Amino acid sequence: MTKDSPIAFKGTTLKIIHTLLSTADPAALHGALAELTGNSPDFFENELAVLDFSGAPALPEAVDWLAICALFRRSGLNAVATRGLPAAVAAAAAACGLPALAADALARPPRGAARAAEMTPGATPETPPATPCQAPPAAAQPAAAPVPAPARATVLDKPLRSGQRFYAQGGDLVVLAMVSAGAEVIADGNIHVYAPLRGRALAGAGGDPAARIFTTSLQAELVSIAGIYRTFEHGVPSDLAGRPAKIALADGGLSILPLALS
Amino acid sequence: MTRIITVTSGKGGVGKTTTSASFATGLAQRGFKTAVIDFDVGLRNLDLIMGCERRVVYDLINVINGEATLTQALIKDKHCDNLWVLPASQTRDKDALKEEGVEKVLAELTHQGFDYIVCDSPAGIEHGAVMALTFADEAVVVTNPEVSSVRDSDRILGILQAKSRRSIEGREPVKEHLLITRYNPGRVEAGEMLSYKDIQEILRVPIIGVVPESEDVLQASNQGAPVIHQKESDAALAYQDIIARFLGEEKPLRFVDYVKPGILKRLFGGK
Repeated sequence: MTKDSPIAFKGTTLKIIHTLLSTADPAALHGALAELTGNSPDFFENELAVLDFSGAPALPEAVDWLAICALFRRSGLNAVATRGLPAAVAAAAAACGLPALAADALARPPRGAARAAEMTPGATPETPPATPCQAPPAAAQPAAAPVPAPARATVLDKPLRSGQRFYAQGGDLVVLAMVSAGAEVIADGNIHVYAPLRGRALAGAGGDPAARIFTTSLQAELVSIAGIYRTFEHGVPSDLAGRPAKIALADGGLSILPLALS
Repeated sequence: MTRIITVTSGKGGVGKTTTSASFATGLAQRGFKTAVIDFDVGLRNLDLIMGCERRVVYDLINVINGEATLTQALIKDKHCDNLWVLPASQTRDKDALKEEGVEKVLAELTHQGFDYIVCDSPAGIEHGAVMALTFADEAVVVTNPEVSSVRDSDRILGILQAKSRRSIEGREPVKEHLLITRYNPGRVEAGEMLSYKDIQEILRVPIIGVVPESEDVLQASNQGAPVIHQKESDAALAYQDIIARFLGEEKPLRFVDYVKPGILKRLFGGK
């Protein structure tokens, strides 16, 4: 309980890829994965995964877990746990370093908002929402308990290139360099882009209708607030294109207005 | 100190190998000990452009697998001192390019006192391309003046930012250069091609040079001598300028303005 303990426990929320599998046959998974990802090593960017077999028919007891892990790792996906396995199989997986998750550990967020929104809003915390949790080890709460993150802005100062995506969870996102066509910025709060916004911007990804988007040069492919989106098939209207703009929800629709910079 | 320069683009057919060959030759002509490595395992081309295809015995994969020494595999360029070519394997699969193996080969080249190592990346954004850029100190991104090429270059710049050792280890980021090839000022003037200014506005990477579209490039490829050797060719002059800028010299861009071919111009030459 001393202050300078070499260990500090903190609760946190991790983004994890919920991977639903209907077989544990490495060869079959290999084929299916190759088809989905084209064997691209960066399809996932070193992300974490739960392997969910709850929809799978009866599995053999001898599963080559190491091969399955290696398979996903080649696409940049790191399996950390299993779910929905019969006890005997789950024990074998646990022996290979894949512990079983409790059945209720994956709270499903309502679909339909923005895709990257992996937050679990209001997911029945067993802990009362307390001050940022510097929990002493004695308080052995399950690590999955969501801790409300402080609403702080994330600042990006490098260009976001085509194919890149950035998600500012629980707060605002400030981007000081351009967002290229084909790139995507997402925030639960507001998005500010002090450079050309050429890609997609999704503010209020957690469902906040008061979120807004600001940019000094609107050239976006898509803008969205709390799931209400607009594309610009024929380009941004000429009175706004390349100009400073602010985007907000008004009367259920998106309002895109010029932004006066003095 | 050895610098590793990766020539990359995302899109295929934009002039990566042509650029790698001329860039490496240009550095060697300036007296730097230079190696140029073909990372396009399975589709090797660099040896053809360099005119050494009949001298290939061992290749990069042989060295990575320990089947040959680096010295055995390096081919001395016949046109130019200070230049060596490390060809790709035509018969192997690109998965044979292992990160530790590539790192070992680059370390050995460094140990042998090379000033510059030019890595000719394969097209695409998959394993081979990632291996070619992982260890880069500088990147030359080759782009053609058309939208899909520019988009792919943007993509590869993002991957460079995410996958290079320099980024992963939080060191000074890879120095990026934009090199535009197949530039045709007449078609830019006619609105059929993006201008170099447009491209720079989209990518926001400093331009190291613009190489004009030129028949000499194809001819040079077929002859197996990098185009930079053809002294009177515009493309060669553009590559010479690129080397000069890379080495820190100030050179205004050439071959980017449309010159109307008038009768007097034709008679008296004049630039």
